[in-house]
Amino acid sequence: MSRATMNIAAARVASPRLSHLSWLLLALALAVGFGLPGVVASVLVLTLLTQAVIGGMLAVGVGFLIRQNGVVSFGHAAWYGVSAYCLGLLLRHDVLSVELALVLALAVPTLTAFLLGLVIVRVPGVAFSMLTLAIGQAFHEFAMKAQGVTNGDDGFAIPLPDTLFGLPISTVQQPETMFVLCWSLLALVVFGLYVTVRSPFGRLTEAIRENEERARFIGYRTVLPRAATYAISAFVAALAGLLFALYNGFVSPEVLHWSLSGSALIMAVIGGSRLLWGPALGAVIFFFLKDLAGNMTEHWPAMIGATVIVVTVLMPAGIAGTLAELFERLRKAGGRA
Amino acid sequence: MTGSAYAIEGTALTRPYGGFLAVNKVDIAVPHGEIRGLIGPNGAGKSTLIDVLSGRAAVWSGQVRMDGRDIGALGAQERRRQGMARSFQKTNIFPELSVREQLDIAARKAEKPNVEEVMDELGLSELGAARARDIAYGEQRRLDLALALIGRPRVLLLDEPAAGLSMRESLGLATLLRDLAQRWKVTVLLVEHDMEVVFSICDRITVLQLGRVLAEGTPDEIRRSADVVTAYLGSAA
Repeated sequence: MSRATMNIAAARVASPRLSHLSWLLLALALAVGFGLPGVVASVLVLTLLTQAVIGGMLAVGVGFLIRQNGVVSFGHAAWYGVSAYCLGLLLRHDVLSVELALVLALAVPTLTAFLLGLVIVRVPGVAFSMLTLAIGQAFHEFAMKAQGVTNGDDGFAIPLPDTLFGLPISTVQQPETMFVLCWSLLALVVFGLYVTVRSPFGRLTEAIRENEERARFIGYRTVLPRAATYAISAFVAALAGLLFALYNGFVSPEVLHWSLSGSALIMAVIGGSRLLWGPALGAVIFFFLKDLAGNMTEHWPAMIGATVIVVTVLMPAGIAGTLAELFERLRKAGGRA
Repeated sequence: MTGSAYAIEGTALTRPYGGFLAVNKVDIAVPHGEIRGLIGPNGAGKSTLIDVLSGRAAVWSGQVRMDGRDIGALGAQERRRQGMARSFQKTNIFPELSVREQLDIAARKAEKPNVEEVMDELGLSELGAARARDIAYGEQRRLDLALALIGRPRVLLLDEPAAGLSMRESLGLATLLRDLAQRWKVTVLLVEHDMEVVFSICDRITVLQLGRVLAEGTPDEIRRSADVVTAYLGSAA
């Protein structure tokens, strides 16, 4: 690679300002979200897309953690589920207005993740992953065993009010409208994370991911930024959990189970976490593949597994990452021509 | 700064490594503005001593002082805030970040950010936008040093900064270090295997052997020391 090409490539990575293209892409993403229900006639497909977008948001949280902290969480369902349970319990006991309950349902998992993060981000690699798995399963066990609070394995229906922020509650329970809401929030989340990774905080966490020791020797405490990154990724997972709870009006220990964390991780691997929207793409592929394979055989998880193997071997950067690399190569080839 | 005559000082420093004492009751005191060389055969304890002084390795026993103040309990970040910086034996940079990005990150922790100055001094100005992993090895070594020089540290601990460089690059680095140390009034403790570099820029040299101080003196005194010649330098010195 010539020095000039290298400089251009790196300068693009380095630029901290948001380009007009970023804003344009956000507007385009929002427009697609608003337009899609008018194009897709099938309620089944819209239901699937809504689930995929909610799952995608959880996967985006997992992917953000991989991208910024360089670690894998096997327990992000904890923040997804805690958020859903918080909303459910607050509404069930009629403690707060639904709007305040929503805020609290986001704040509780985020803050809890931050405090736990202060401890667990000190642990490297696989040990960190195991701790996240343990935390997730601890919440799952609590939901299963605390019958008096959570109704155990059976879960409970969330008594949603008639209106939410002045809109009829059906807005969040019909796929036509819920898809638009979820998609818009996903677009805003990805955009927010994009702004975060390009900020000085984002650059610092990347530096810490790259070389934590060097970061300490240039004067940084590294635990706090890593814990903050963990909390941000938990916030995204919590938002997904909140949307799930509103959409389904029901919560059970399934939302805390490790298999959900595993699915989110698979989505992130299929899509790739180098690009912030990669895990969301992975989620769409995951849900449609699951639906398609599920109609053909009861052994659909084997097909998901085979897909993960193929993607991991042939496209280590994930589908989105590979597409981005291809686009980059074509752009460079175009520049040379 | 306190009234201490020494910028960096270690007293009776002891630190085990594996099953033996890599640093064994070492006393070292470097006056302000001096360039001190630290030499010795492989396994003499040079890098471990630098690690102990910089906070990378905990002090087992003994004291570390900077400007007379005990800094033994301070972490690497706090020592950096006190004005101590270091480079590493193996290139220790942020490979995926651009040269400019990582120097900017380092500058955010400096009282007086001097990114342009450091890039200019180390010949990195043309490489600002280049990703660190893509630049040549010699440039990466300079970047490693640049990260340490951001904020004009008062004490600079360098662990083999010329490792892997060509003779021309090594001598260029030596001249640059001498020049910067004088102009910026930096106290330097330099571990280096390249004797030409050490003897050309150091005011004094400390020789370690098996974790202990074998000798200390000016480059001429070290050259003439029979103990050092026998233990380390050989007849070529």
